[in-house]
Amino acid sequence: MAAVEALPALLALPFMQRALLGGLLTGALGGLLGSVAVLRQLSFFSDALGHSALLGISLGILLGVNPTLVLVPFAVLFALLVNQLVQRSRLPTDALLNIVYSTSLALAVLALSLVDTYRGNIQPLLFGDILGISWPDLWVIAGLSVLALGYLIVSLRAQVLVILSDDLAGAFGVQISAHRLAFIVLLAVVVAVSIKAVGVLLISAFVVIPACAARLVSRRFSSYVLTSVLLGGSCAVLGLLGSGLTNLPSGPCVVVVQFAGFLLALLWSRLVVRT
Amino acid sequence: MAELVLQVRGLRVLRDGVPVVDDVSFALPAESDTALVGPNGAGKSTVVAAVLGLLPRQAGDVRLLGQPLSPQGRWPRSVRTQVAYLPQSLAVEGRFPLTVRDFVGFGFDPAGPRWPWSGAAGRRQAIERALERTQCSALSARLISELSGGQWKRVQLAFCVVRPRRLLVLDEAQAGLDAPSSERFQQLLLDLRRQEGWTVLQVSHDLEMVRRSCDQVLCLNRQLRCSGSPDHALSAQRLAELYGPGYVPYQHHHAPLP
Repeated sequence: MAAVEALPALLALPFMQRALLGGLLTGALGGLLGSVAVLRQLSFFSDALGHSALLGISLGILLGVNPTLVLVPFAVLFALLVNQLVQRSRLPTDALLNIVYSTSLALAVLALSLVDTYRGNIQPLLFGDILGISWPDLWVIAGLSVLALGYLIVSLRAQVLVILSDDLAGAFGVQISAHRLAFIVLLAVVVAVSIKAVGVLLISAFVVIPACAARLVSRRFSSYVLTSVLLGGSCAVLGLLGSGLTNLPSGPCVVVVQFAGFLLALLWSRLVVRT
Repeated sequence: MAELVLQVRGLRVLRDGVPVVDDVSFALPAESDTALVGPNGAGKSTVVAAVLGLLPRQAGDVRLLGQPLSPQGRWPRSVRTQVAYLPQSLAVEGRFPLTVRDFVGFGFDPAGPRWPWSGAAGRRQAIERALERTQCSALSARLISELSGGQWKRVQLAFCVVRPRRLLVLDEAQAGLDAPSSERFQQLLLDLRRQEGWTVLQVSHDLEMVRRSCDQVLCLNRQLRCSGSPDHALSAQRLAELYGPGYVPYQHHHAPLP
């Protein structure tokens, strides 16, 4: 009851308003790209990208540059490098990603240990600091959301055919390499931009959990994408409100709410969808 | 003389510097049904992939309806839309959130970017008609991941027939189907081929089906070993040359397809 009474005061705080808007956009964007990433078996890619981003952040700190400025080019470069490795190497993708991200993580820790003067708190990097999100951050996320939505709408057929089979897509005139590259770069940019809010350890949850939950309850592809977007956005808002009311860390709160949403979807799929 | 829908001359594809197929030449007359047969590793799927521009070729001229496949493996847009292809398998694992109707609709849409609402009425009619013609209307709301093997193959034919095309390429389309499903699929393919005027190129290991339903057989083992009518190309002697001396064909003596 006390929590409900505290809600209006919480919603009146400008940083909380920014955080809720940021959570809504980041969650929805994660759900949008996640819906394709999960079907294209790129779930682990977003996880590896998130973990490897720590190396970008560490390099930024080591070079005395704002880590946020280093993060986007680093993530894009990482995505392109991994894409090339996956295409040219004959190793399984998950094993290759494991090698790249554990090495990046090791290098990141080594780089951080070389920085004597860094007095910042590592926790916001790991788990995000959505309460510290600014208006420029929000504009960037909003712009990315529009870009991602537009791209996925006009390339829906190509995305589905590539998911089903590269050969099928290629035979029907889809430029497979271009679409693969475009999606991976978009995912890398979104992950990099969202890390400030969500953190390197939890970013993959934003991409994977809403999409998996939506997959359990959707029958049409359009409703699957829409459900994933709605779940991503709503779970982020609920998690942030819970975080604000209980004074618990925001990123983990959002992920716990996402997981609860996933369990509900699982239950729904057992009770309703299959009957 | 019948129009040649597909002409392949001197096709050569290397993998790691080693020729997988070499000096392969053949032509598909309009409305013919041609089978590409040969042992595992003979390069059948490689020929198909190279002809479709999915694999780079090191030599060879490939023409579809008289138009050449570019060295980069691109067809001119005017002929690219005339080809439908069904690969050996599609990645439909777990619960795949795509209904039969939506899947067939993707076969109707053009290759480039498209707004989802453009041409909705014509698209809907074409989908309904394709589902009807492939006896899949009752499946339209089902998820593609919920279908049996036979149903899924029929839905894939609906995907091909949803817009007019000239060439249909099938890579072991009947693999994994039981005998009745395989028979039903082949009959449906035959009916659609006659109605649509399709020219068909199919990779197959089912020599009995090939014998009964195809007009022309291409026997491949890295090079084209022989070609011609099923009676000519699938004689015991030629099969022994193609598959090795231990190969003994077993004939079911089904009636030929009408």
